[in-house]
Amino acid sequence: MKRTLYIFQNGELRRKDHSLYFETEGRKKYIPVENTSDIYIFGEVDVSKRFLEFASQKQIIVHYFNHYGYYVGSFYPREHLNAGHVILKQAEHYLDGRKRLNLARRFIEGSIQQMGRVLKYYRSRLEAKDVFDNVLHDFEKESLLLSDAQSVEQLMALEGHVREKYYSTFDTIIRHPDFVFEKRTKRPPHNRLNALISFGNSIVYTMCLSEIYKTYLDPRIGFLHSTNFRRFSLHLDVAEIFKPIIVDRLIFSLINKKMLVKKHFDKLTDGILLSEEGRKIFVSELEKKMQTTVQHRHLGKSVSYRRLIRLELYKIQKHLLGEKEYEPYAAKW
Amino acid sequence: MPVTGTDIWYYYICHREVWLMKHQIAPDQEDESLDLGRFISEIYYRRNKKELSFGNIVIDRVRQEDGQLVVGEVKKSSRYMKSATMQLLYYLDYLRRMGIEARGELLFPEERKKEVVEWTEEARVELERAVKEIQRILRMPVPPKPKKIQFCAKCAYREYCWAEE
Amino acid sequence: MFVILVYDFNEKRVAKALKIARKYLHWVQNSVFEGELSEANYKKLKIELQAIMHPNEDSVIFYTFRTQKYSKREEFGLKKGGEEFIL
Repeated sequence: MKRTLYIFQNGELRRKDHSLYFETEGRKKYIPVENTSDIYIFGEVDVSKRFLEFASQKQIIVHYFNHYGYYVGSFYPREHLNAGHVILKQAEHYLDGRKRLNLARRFIEGSIQQMGRVLKYYRSRLEAKDVFDNVLHDFEKESLLLSDAQSVEQLMALEGHVREKYYSTFDTIIRHPDFVFEKRTKRPPHNRLNALISFGNSIVYTMCLSEIYKTYLDPRIGFLHSTNFRRFSLHLDVAEIFKPIIVDRLIFSLINKKMLVKKHFDKLTDGILLSEEGRKIFVSELEKKMQTTVQHRHLGKSVSYRRLIRLELYKIQKHLLGEKEYEPYAAKW
Repeated sequence: MPVTGTDIWYYYICHREVWLMKHQIAPDQEDESLDLGRFISEIYYRRNKKELSFGNIVIDRVRQEDGQLVVGEVKKSSRYMKSATMQLLYYLDYLRRMGIEARGELLFPEERKKEVVEWTEEARVELERAVKEIQRILRMPVPPKPKKIQFCAKCAYREYCWAEE
Repeated sequence: MFVILVYDFNEKRVAKALKIARKYLHWVQNSVFEGELSEANYKKLKIELQAIMHPNEDSVIFYTFRTQKYSKREEFGLKKGGEEFIL
């Protein structure tokens, strides 16, 4: 499995011979190009056109984040995988209202299922069982309403309710005065926990985008998240399935193990953000998590979380081709 | 769509693969054996470009022996013997239709092995049937369902075919 | 697998070896590289090095580990390079 490179320093990315290097303060660090799938840029990094050409040739995606750690955009090289049949099917599933609603519903179902997974895990480990029981009960009720939803907007609203209830358990799970949830706030987040959620989600979105690049799916055509043909949206749909078990679980464990504490956050005039040091810890632990493996029955081997994203995309593609109805991944631990 | 030698090759391995390949849905480009195979063939072709193409077939090697044409097909391993034999027979049959009688040789340089393949009337009948079958498969609106066979283990499509838990 | 590459090439070819190794592994210090590699990339790297080396004058050694679990890496003095994914 190829690796992801994260750059926090300031410097230059260049092509040299048949490889790439990052130069900072006179030090050149060569990047094993044959072993790199994507690059995340957080620092002030200059890239040359020759670098981009070579990255494109080697199918390396570059994701940019600004000074505050907000996602800016991606260098998504010219599609190297193209199949007219798949694109037509994907567009058909977007344009046909019923087909789109069906797929959108499946993403929400998967998302609720995964949130439920996380809650069940903590229910078994913590005293306050009733808190989890109540929310899980609500999840079941809301899930039943999914099949009645007549529009993607209704689905989104349902998902919003469920997520709100899900977040309401975070204080019970975390039990730490420095990391209270209050309410979901974005751009900028108003407290540390929200800062972590926002940062984590943005990284998982881009991971999904990187994986979409390795398939025939078009990232511009999402089903749950609206397409406006300018921006990517399919990765947001897929990330719904993985946010709870990847990001939220990681956040709980980082706080619990005191790997992230108060000092890893910067106060802004109107909000709070993860500091550079905090972001480094976060991505390094996230990378470890993405490489942990789970057993896959059908493949007869264990696959990494990162690979699970790819498999999820394959399942979506098979749904679009009319091969097999998409069933979202359900964690089994 | 004309049937190529490669289609014949895939047909005798997996019908689903024929459909996917013809619909430009290539397997995982990062698959280990696919990646290595591509690397080796790039080096190999840089060194010797002896390929010959005519009509919709591409022949690896051609030589003359005792006044007869010998068509050689180079393969990495003899694992897919049936496919390799049928592909070569397809070329022999193709040439025969153009009035050229040729003998075939399957070459396995890594195994230092060589197999002689001769055109027969039975082979022609079998190929005709295969071509019809391939055309039928390609007309299917949905790819044939995956079937677990011995070739799945090393196939670059395996994760696509068996993505469901 | 985790790979450590050590080589000793005639100076006429040492720059070539360096360029090849950089594509696959992380430079550690003079003529030493390390990193996690797939089977395919390991084979590709071997093929590329063998293509340029003169077996009578040059030498290549690979140490491979299926997992890093049972090995330990200690480093003293100036840190020159090594496997890094967060810069």
